[in-house]
Order: sequence, then structure tokens, then C-alpha cells
Amino acid sequence: MSDQDLFAYPRGRLQAADLDLAASLQAMVQKEVMDKRLELKEDYDGLLKPSLARLMAEVGLQKMFWPEKLGGEEHNEPEAAYTVAAALEQIGRADVGLAFLAAHSLALQAAIAAKDSYREELCAAVAPLFCEGNRPLIVSFVLPAMSQDGGAPEWRGKGIQVRAKSGPDGWTLTGKAVRPTCSGADAGLFGVLCAVEGEEPAFILVPGDSPGISRGQEFKKTGLAASRNADLDFKGVKVPAANCAWRGEEGFLNLLSWFYLGLAAAGVGALLADYEIIKEWGDNRVIKGRGQVFKENPLTAALMGEIAKEIAVDRLLAYNLADILSDPQAYGDDGPLAVFTSALMLVHHIYVSAEYTIHRTMELMASAGYAKEWQLERYWRDVKTVQCYLGAYELAKHDFARWFYHTKTL
Amino acid sequence: MRTIDDITRPLDYLPPAAQILMPILRNWADNEVIPYRRQYDEDWEHHKLIHAPGKKLLGEYGIQKLLFPVDLGGMGFGESDYAFTSMFILGEEMARADSGLAVGLGATLWPLMSIALKPHVNRRLLEEFAPLYCDTTEMICGALCMTEPQGGADIENVDLLKGSTIQTTAVKDGDEWVINGHKLWPTNTGGMADLLAVVCTTNPGSTDPNDVALIFCYNDTPGVTQSGPYEKAGMACDKNGDVWLENVRVPLWYRAHGPGLDALFFKDLMSLGNGVIISFTSGVMMNIYEKLLDFVNETKFRGLPLKENDAVAGVLADYAATLEIVRIIGYQAARMLDRSDLYGDRWSSEMMAKMRSYRYFTMDRALEVIGKVMNLMEAYGADRDHDVEKHWRDIKMNQLWLGGKQLCQIEAARWFFECETL
Repeated sequence: MSDQDLFAYPRGRLQAADLDLAASLQAMVQKEVMDKRLELKEDYDGLLKPSLARLMAEVGLQKMFWPEKLGGEEHNEPEAAYTVAAALEQIGRADVGLAFLAAHSLALQAAIAAKDSYREELCAAVAPLFCEGNRPLIVSFVLPAMSQDGGAPEWRGKGIQVRAKSGPDGWTLTGKAVRPTCSGADAGLFGVLCAVEGEEPAFILVPGDSPGISRGQEFKKTGLAASRNADLDFKGVKVPAANCAWRGEEGFLNLLSWFYLGLAAAGVGALLADYEIIKEWGDNRVIKGRGQVFKENPLTAALMGEIAKEIAVDRLLAYNLADILSDPQAYGDDGPLAVFTSALMLVHHIYVSAEYTIHRTMELMASAGYAKEWQLERYWRDVKTVQCYLGAYELAKHDFARWFYHTKTL
Repeated sequence: MRTIDDITRPLDYLPPAAQILMPILRNWADNEVIPYRRQYDEDWEHHKLIHAPGKKLLGEYGIQKLLFPVDLGGMGFGESDYAFTSMFILGEEMARADSGLAVGLGATLWPLMSIALKPHVNRRLLEEFAPLYCDTTEMICGALCMTEPQGGADIENVDLLKGSTIQTTAVKDGDEWVINGHKLWPTNTGGMADLLAVVCTTNPGSTDPNDVALIFCYNDTPGVTQSGPYEKAGMACDKNGDVWLENVRVPLWYRAHGPGLDALFFKDLMSLGNGVIISFTSGVMMNIYEKLLDFVNETKFRGLPLKENDAVAGVLADYAATLEIVRIIGYQAARMLDRSDLYGDRWSSEMMAKMRSYRYFTMDRALEVIGKVMNLMEAYGADRDHDVEKHWRDIKMNQLWLGGKQLCQIEAARWFFECETL
């Protein structure tokens, strides 16, 4: 039994192709990311960019959902949720930032190219960006955020960062100091939730090379080195009418649900890496001067046990979310809001747990916990950064309350 | 508008020099560190930026002279009943700007505490080292070299292991000690330390406290080698590396005190280190309070300042309550260290257990609420331009050095519950 298999997951629900993909990704990221990072650290050009290209373009994650006639692999059944989970936990095990970027791409694909939500005209317009040639396409989102603009239109209390107007030539987008979820410096396609005056919000896809987009300087952040983020300005950016993926909430909730699945799997990947690191430490470290192996000390063993428990539960939860997305009817078919609420709860739970777990692991390893040489600290920074980008947990709790208690004013 | 000066401190514990010390330190932090600190992470190896504020505070303002007697050119704090409340202020104000810098600059004084604090003053060694620290405006760095490659915090676990795991040896040869060993992680190594205090054994494997020795040596003594610094998650201002000691010869009187006393006063350093770390936590939390105050006033949720949301206010209250408590515990710890006539010897197992308890309790609580603040700030919580994430990284590291959390727990349990085998 491999170390990863110690942590139960619904193996029987995965297709043979999913298991093969996971196994090959595990081997690939070990060789191309994990084995090189002691030397290359978090070097974007030397390590992360080529790894992203390999995963998205060569392995083909960015082609996964698109129909074959558009150059994709047409793996677009709801069961693809398991594929997303299996793939992103392996990538997250190597680098959470790479999985974070892949989660954007896969969520967008699922939201517009999955069999039950297929949007023909839009897919025809954007699939070439994903499927033609061998260039990796970085997808980023512009989501509602807390802002200093008190008058901004809101979605669930947060300001919608970009405004859009529709006209005969399509959409025109404006927004200043817009903060995307990732890769403001590099993204080739932005999925932007836009406020439309007097109407429902629109989710619009904006190619990164559209005239009128200006990108600020990359800013430094805690983790996720694979995402070179920068604020954006949209100055009268024009896109065709077909680039509007949907109006209103339903499609947006579906997108977010898939996005959260990807992030959940990425977090589990970080935890699987955490396990490998603390296992090696526990096996080899000797303490108390009496030849006592670290894992045999009752205090440290109890903490190591708790770490394993958290990882085991989180992995089950991530796959459970995949199960919900793959077959919502089996969970009551209460619509996209129910799925979204579940996804939001599970992903927050996993990241709270992941932060807690990696904190405890660092405490067991003391200085080695924060030395870059031992690699643990990068997962700690990455997981915390994802948690920040997920949004404030306190405000997400309002979404939970809204669903479970039918609150009316939150 | 509220400011950090509204956070409670026990006024009756403040040293007479507080009114002089605090504005100087606040001014130093605001002008010499805070405008530049966002660039410090990239300066971890060479300290091209970081050196200047250190030199200003330690060398030019003379903080490195703090513990030396006045007649040797120092400030005489080693004999003061307010040494640790003063150091709490120093640590807090430095850490408000950068807790890595606070660790590095504070650790310069740490080895000297073994010979400069009443009642265990070693006048001869102070006379020896005073010119190095007091006759210059250059920054002088000290390093307390404890940890070794094997066993990590075992050496700090004095009451259980009694020095039996120390592998750095000190052998008498005529009127000199000959030191051999390998130390890891001391603050202010990585090429910085001018003076080292090395924890050694005179009889490897012995559990006799008489065999634990704390011996000073200069960095330029033949046989002393420092590696470059390790790269870490944060605390760029605190360089840590390897120190190799190969047949390092120093006079016999470079030993801090002698058989039995070195082990005892090494425990003193443990108590002091754990107590002072709380000041770093408090300082970090004060600066985050400043940043958070701005954020929740300027950022809107549902058209109102974020702070006006009840759920958010709950997090803000947790933060404020924790800051208040951390600061009060920290001052209490400092006062206990200052008043051994009331609270007992600093080097007692009781005091060590209590300082460990305060430290790990305050660290745990601080990290919990700082993590929540980062999350509350959403993407800006992880953004270096908002400063909170740097403090989060740095303060985590403060939690882990000097024995880490589990040793704190064991020492607390051992004393409070009279455990016999832990």
C-alpha cells in the first residue's frame, strides 16, 4: 500500500483513466517539480512556468472538457469531477500554486463545456484558446471583493469590481484597480463577473490581449508563486456579445462550485505532502537523548495522529464534493445554490483544517518547519494564500446561514 | 481615533526610563524600519538594507551597551530592577516594525545576560567585552550557540537531559579551553556574530550539571567558522547558520561562571528568552492592529465600513481581546523576571516553566487571531503591501525557535504536575 493509499478515498468511484492519470501525474510532478525544487526553489521561469506548460498543454488538462470537434478531449460528463479531484490533489502535492491555476481552467471548462451546461457559441469562440497549439493558457477570474468603493454594485455584500454595458458591438467593460484571483500579470483569459446597470450581473470572458486591459506591476504575496498576480485596469475593453457566458446567479454558482472542488483537491494535495514530510521526520528524528524515535514519543505521536486524522477526513470531504458535483440528484437535487453551499462549506473546512494541520506539523519540526530546505513552509504559505483568496470565512458563514436558516437580510 | 497607545499596559510596572526610551524607539521604527521592511525578504542573505537600522539602534543609539555597567561605558541595566520591563518595551517597539529584527538585535544582548545580570555578574568578562560593545558606533552582534545537529531542542531541555546530549566539547589544556563541535541555527550567525557564547560539555554524556559549560569566544578566534545563512519562511533580519568549532582555544576564564553555575544560569537564559519573546508577539500584534484599523475603516461591505458588520466585529473583538491579554501577560512576565525577590530565581524550574507557559499560550492565541485577520482581509491579507502576512510568517517562526511548542508544554507540565519521567 502506498503512503497516499493509507488515506481512504472512494477509489471505486474513479474510472480506470482517472487512476492512470493520477498515477502518471504523481510520477511526473515528483520528477519535474519536487525533485527540482531544492535547487530551483520557487523560480517561476525555471520551474513553475515550464511545469504549468507541461500540465496544461502537454498533459492536456486545459483540453479536458472541450468537445473533440473543437480539439478537446470531451471528458465532459459529470463524473469528470472525480478526474478533477484526482488530478489536482496530485498537482497540489507538488505545488499548490500550480493546482490553483489548474483549478481555474478546469472550473471554467466545466461551467461552459460540461455536457449539462454546454454553451455552443461561447465554446466555439474560446475553445481555440485552450486547444490550438501547445501553449498553456492561464485562466483567471475577477470576482466580487470587498472594496473601498462604497457605491459599487454588490453581489452578496461584496463589490462587483467591473461594470459592463451591452451595445450593438458587444460588451464594453470598465474597472479600475481590479484584483483578479490569480496571474494578473500573465493570464490569457479572464472570467469576469460584471455589474450591468439595472440588470442581472453578467459573467463575461475577456481574452488577456484585449485592447484596453492594462496590467499593474506584479505584487509580492505570501505564497502561490506560480500565480504572478497584479491588479488590472479595464478601460473600455470590448468583447463580442457571445463572450457572455451567462446572466444571473445560476451559472456563476456552478462555476464557483467546480472552482472550490479544484481548490479542495489542491488543499488535500498539500496535506498529502505534509504527511510525507512529517512521516520522514517522525521515522528518523531521535529525541530526548535516549535514542527515542520521534514518532514513539507519546506527545509527538498524539499530534502526528491528529495530523493524519485531519488529512484523512479532508480527503474524504474533497472526494465527497466530487461526488456531489458528479451526481447532484443523489444528494436531493436542490439546485445550484445547494451545491454551491456544500462546496463553499467543504472548501472552507478543508482550508481551515489544512492551515491548522500544517501549523501543527511545523510546530513538531521546529526550525526545520520554517527552513526552506525542508519544503514544509511553502505548503503553509500556499495554503494560507489560497484561504485568503477564498474570501473571509466569517462572511462565507453568512452563505451557510442563508441556506440552512433561510435568513433574509444577510 | 484609537491608536496603539490605547492598548493597556500595566503602568505600575513601567521603568522610570520608559518615557525616554519609548519615543526614541517609536521614532526609529517609524523612520528607519517600517518604510523599508517590505524589501527585507529579498535581503535575507546580504543585509544590504537590514544592516542600517541595526547599526543605528545598537551602535549609534547604543542599545548594545545596555547591560554593561556604567563605569565600563554601558547603561547599567544589568543591575536594574527594571531590566526586563525595559527590554519588554525595547522588544515590543522593535517587533512592531519587524520581529525578525527584534530577534536579531535582542539576541545580541542574550549571551551577555549570563554574565551581566545581577546577581551573577562576571566583572572580569564584562571588562573584557566592554570595549567591543561600548567603544564603537558600529553594530556588534552576539550569538548564543545551543542547538546541535542531533536532537534539536534537547539541549534546551535542561531539567530532563541535564546536558547529557551536548556533543560540543570543552577540554582543559593548560590555561585554555579547547572547544570542538558543531552548532546549528544560532540567531545572529550566518556570518554576523562577533562574539559567541557556546554551550559545551566537559564530559560528554554526563548528566552532572558541573559538566555543562558556557564559554565565550570571539568570531575571529582561529577554528571558528560560520556558514552563510539558511533561507527561511520569513524573519529575514535574523540570520541563522552553522557554526563549526575546531580546536578553538580560549582562556579558561572565558567560561561564564564555572561548574554547576553555568548550567544554572543557562536555565536563566531559557527563562529570559521565553519571557522576552512575548514582547515580540505583543509588538507584532500592535502593528497588525494599526493595519487592521485602517483596513476595516476603509473597506466596505454592504456599503458600510467592514467593521460595522456584526460577524466581522466578532473577529475584531477577538483580536483586540487577545492583544490586550498578550500585552498584560508579557508585562507580567517581564516584571516577574525583574523581581526575583518576589517571584523566585529566574533560573528555577518554576520560573522556566512559567515563562514557557506564558510564551506558548500567548503565541498560540496570537497566531490564531492573526490567521483570522489575514483571512478577513481576503486577498489583501496575503499581499505584502498590507504588511500583515509578513508579521504572520515572522511570528510563527518566533513560536518555533528556542525549543518550540512541545518543549514548552513538557516543561510546564513537569513543574505544575510534578511529572517525574517527562
